[in-house]
Amino acid sequence: MLVLLLLTSITLITLDTRSNGGGATATARNTARDAISPVQDAVGDVLDPIDDWFDGVTRSGDLKNENARLRRDLAEAVASAAAGRGALRENRELKELAGLTYAPGLTGVDAQVVTASPSNFSETVGIDKGTDAGVIVGMSVVTGDGLVGRVTSTSRRRATVLLLTDPKSGVSVRFENSGALEVASGRQGSSLLALDVPLDVKVRRGELVLTSGADPSIFPGGLPVGTVVSVRSLVGALSQTVLVQPLLEVGHATFVRVLGAAVEGGSR
Amino acid sequence: MIRYARLTLFLIAIVLIQTTVMPYLRILDVVPELALVATIAIAYREGPETGAGFGFVAGFATDLFIDTPLGLSALVFTLTGYLIGVVQGAMARTAWWVPPVLGGLGGLVSGLLFVGIGTLVGQEQLWALRSLRIVAISACYDAVVAFIVFPVASLACHSDGPRTASPSNAQGW
Repeated sequence: MLVLLLLTSITLITLDTRSNGGGATATARNTARDAISPVQDAVGDVLDPIDDWFDGVTRSGDLKNENARLRRDLAEAVASAAAGRGALRENRELKELAGLTYAPGLTGVDAQVVTASPSNFSETVGIDKGTDAGVIVGMSVVTGDGLVGRVTSTSRRRATVLLLTDPKSGVSVRFENSGALEVASGRQGSSLLALDVPLDVKVRRGELVLTSGADPSIFPGGLPVGTVVSVRSLVGALSQTVLVQPLLEVGHATFVRVLGAAVEGGSR
Repeated sequence: MIRYARLTLFLIAIVLIQTTVMPYLRILDVVPELALVATIAIAYREGPETGAGFGFVAGFATDLFIDTPLGLSALVFTLTGYLIGVVQGAMARTAWWVPPVLGGLGGLVSGLLFVGIGTLVGQEQLWALRSLRIVAISACYDAVVAFIVFPVASLACHSDGPRTASPSNAQGW
């Protein structure tokens, strides 16, 4: 029986890898995700406050820094707390999405992030819009701050977004000052993106990095990606390693816009 | 038949909790693998064949909700279930520390298998030092949740008939 199960598993892996996101394996996945989506919605509503508390407990180091900053902004923090921190954040994200100053010509569909990845080895989020809302694989996903990632799978009511910081994610970018084009990739377990840049390209800390839009990149050009936080080159190396901090914590967005998607009755 | 129904319900509950609740309970950005711990618990109680079978189904169900190739978790959970089942056959007695130790060890072995086999089937991003950190933390988390999952799994596969290959049937020394 063991051999049979192992052979079946290997066959499934082969089928899924070769189907390239389509076929029976994709149908099985999409059906399962659609079926579970009402449960995820309900559980998400209940667990969001618990998640905030748990997040606070497990990220105490970050909280210390945040506390110091909050003390300086005490008056503002009190007002924010009274109005509901979560509600304010959502409000801000929605306003930024409505404006989307860096991409005025790009339309899309707004969606809410409803799930985080249940896996330890992929950095994805689930959003509450799918093919019914015109979302298809490959579309870019942004917030008011900048690029979040791209859609990697869709069902009728759900889509999975591969975050910029996932190691499988690669983004063609250009540096704001030099205009040099490179590919930024995520690093396993890190919130930073890494690029190998030729030594003759001058890169400065704090420099903005944008999507290049160069063919064959699937991302439109000019979307803010992040800022350079580190430039390192080893003696004798042919290139320098540049680390880029995304402009937002890509896994912590609440509302996003799927660029290019359009619901019936016109796009937003 | 009732036992299979209970096991099916147990599996559905585990997968639902894994996909809806556990993403909210990340520690150091890592979630425990409930379906894997359930597989280990079933294998510990029922032996290698049942462990492998349950592992396959649990892994397949998990694969439906993650983005690594369909079948990868099924393969890894099948192997883990079988290994734990073989190990439990050599154990003479039960103790309070068995669930967390098996949960942790099973999590470690399964994580390493996932990274190794995943890399072989084209998931090169898994082959990184940071994956070891994730595997180690996840194994610790698995050890903790084993305290809860093992008793529930035991209830789910409880049978009125005689059990086979259960360590609790052994007399010890």
